[in-house]
Amino acid sequence: MERMNKKAYYGEYGGQYVAESLMNVLDEIDKAFEEAIKDPEFIRQYNYYLKQYVGRETPLYFAERLSEKYGTKIYLKREDLNHTGAHKINNVMGQILLAKRMGKTKVIAETGAGQHGVATATGAALFGMECTVYMGEEDVKRQALNVMRMEMLGAKVESVRSGSNTLKDATNEAIRTWAKTAEDTFYIIGSAIGPYPYPKMVKEFQSIISREAKKQHMEAEGRLPDVVMACVGGGSNSIGMFADFIDEPSVELIGVEAAGKGIDTDEHAASMAKGRPGVLHGTRSYLLQDEDGNIQLAHSISAGLDYPGVGPEHAYLHDTGRAKYVPITDSEAMDALMELTRLEGIIPAIESAHAMAYAFKKAKEMTKDQSMIICLSGRGDKDVNTISDYLAGKGYLN
Amino acid sequence: MSDNRIELQMKKLQDEGKKAFITYITAGLPDYAATKAIIKAQEGITDVIELGIPFSDPTADGPVIQQASYEAILNGATLKKTFELMDELRSEGSTQPIVFMMYYNTIVNFGLNEFAGRCKSAGVDGLIVPDLPFEEQDALKDALSATDNATILIQLVSPISADRIPQILADAKGFVYCVSAMGVTGQGGTYHKDVTDYLKSVKSVSKIPVMMGFGIRTAADVEPMKDCIDGAIVGTHFINLLREAGFDSKAAAEYAGTFKKEMNSI
Repeated sequence: MERMNKKAYYGEYGGQYVAESLMNVLDEIDKAFEEAIKDPEFIRQYNYYLKQYVGRETPLYFAERLSEKYGTKIYLKREDLNHTGAHKINNVMGQILLAKRMGKTKVIAETGAGQHGVATATGAALFGMECTVYMGEEDVKRQALNVMRMEMLGAKVESVRSGSNTLKDATNEAIRTWAKTAEDTFYIIGSAIGPYPYPKMVKEFQSIISREAKKQHMEAEGRLPDVVMACVGGGSNSIGMFADFIDEPSVELIGVEAAGKGIDTDEHAASMAKGRPGVLHGTRSYLLQDEDGNIQLAHSISAGLDYPGVGPEHAYLHDTGRAKYVPITDSEAMDALMELTRLEGIIPAIESAHAMAYAFKKAKEMTKDQSMIICLSGRGDKDVNTISDYLAGKGYLN
Repeated sequence: MSDNRIELQMKKLQDEGKKAFITYITAGLPDYAATKAIIKAQEGITDVIELGIPFSDPTADGPVIQQASYEAILNGATLKKTFELMDELRSEGSTQPIVFMMYYNTIVNFGLNEFAGRCKSAGVDGLIVPDLPFEEQDALKDALSATDNATILIQLVSPISADRIPQILADAKGFVYCVSAMGVTGQGGTYHKDVTDYLKSVKSVSKIPVMMGFGIRTAADVEPMKDCIDGAIVGTHFINLLREAGFDSKAAAEYAGTFKKEMNSI
């Protein structure tokens, strides 16, 4: 079938499944975004804040001890060293500059682990904008430290109590508020999800990760990496890590989903492994859903991967075979987290530890002359409570 | 001439010079027996009934309908069972015009062609799909036209639809659903600041009746815009009222009767 709304699609995924009252809003954002990324002054500002405020470029660190132990070259793209502790700020800087350019005075955001919320609150403080962050009640408990950071930054944190009380429900509430207030409010979406042009914007503003990494790897090795890997919840760090490598067929792309307690249990967040195509939060993609089409609860020890869907471009990369998506369980991720901490002195976010866990598996098929880049999307400071509960055998919330 | 029940009823009202009254209920709240009784009690009074198919993530709805959907799902309400309810109503002779108000994922999950076929066989007269804007409707329209358009896809317009209105209304059927405010259902009578101008602009280009919904409780709420609408839709307030009355079908009929009488005398 020929779709009327073709540009909003990645194959059969994507689109603009929103209320009629948001269609003109999306159209305005789309026009402003396309203009902005062609405007040298906008790009100059974006690059200025990434360098001077966020602290880019981030290192591509050659992990010596891991490489030695696993018998292949392991490079870590250190997004954990960004201001606010994760890759989320890259996209926030882009979208908030766009919001300013469009004359909006207020921003809203959804957050799971709190990293996108903190990044948005940070950008709002920097540019003097009013900020409200929607966060599931369960995540508010799991990520108390990030809630405090957002409040210190002057943001209002709305604890959302509906459904599973996690990222999915926070996103529902952010969409409802946006539909009410779009005339003066910009919705900063942090994942590679949402109605078009959001998946495209998030990719654009996160693609700095792969542009830098590609150049850095060329400098270090004189060639492209063999494998590029990142964790996938909604898919923002992974789409940024893949972006500049998608058209390099020699580079294998691997996305790592959260398998929670295992993909054969009911407690996981592996929407590619176990989901079916459907429509949620404005986009058509793989979704965890029951036989009636109601969205199922996702489970992961990592709040940032605890989402029942995935960005539409990932669904497309999955179906076309350009990228491979694999599941990693909570316990595999936690083992990898400890391994990275002990061998390299880097405490990663639990989200990023999922990618590390698969990297160790993948390394077994690789030779010592090959190399892989893993996106270390965030640091683990926010997770110390979860980690300590896990290590004490107390399980975790959710 | 169409034999769609919505179009027949709209034609009748037009001939009589009367405005239409539409209510919304969530299917299976608190159970299907109650839903059936509430529908039957409104036969001959309410012009169209919107039957909400509960969905886990109702992003176009405010807290009251969210809660109603959540409870209905917990009580076992599904699309399949709602089709069965429709089968029963039609086999018992109900000619009540009924539209399903539902989210697109529920349709995708059922399968578009299967869904359109089942709508026809169950006598569903129309569909309101709040997360399926005009640009995304092609696939569903194809499926519906394969059943000879037995079921109408109702178009929604918003206070900021502006230049989109002519395109949306070009092939619209049944009635056009004008959302009175930005945002979600149930905001208690606070309409968009430019609501009257907006309704006038819709009315001026619409070839079919114009209904207003979102935040309406009494006929007095629509008095200021009575000249630019052909009827009113009450959802959230109707759910609240049913709850207070313990889902008594008599309360539904009384409220609908009063609203309709008052609306047609203002």
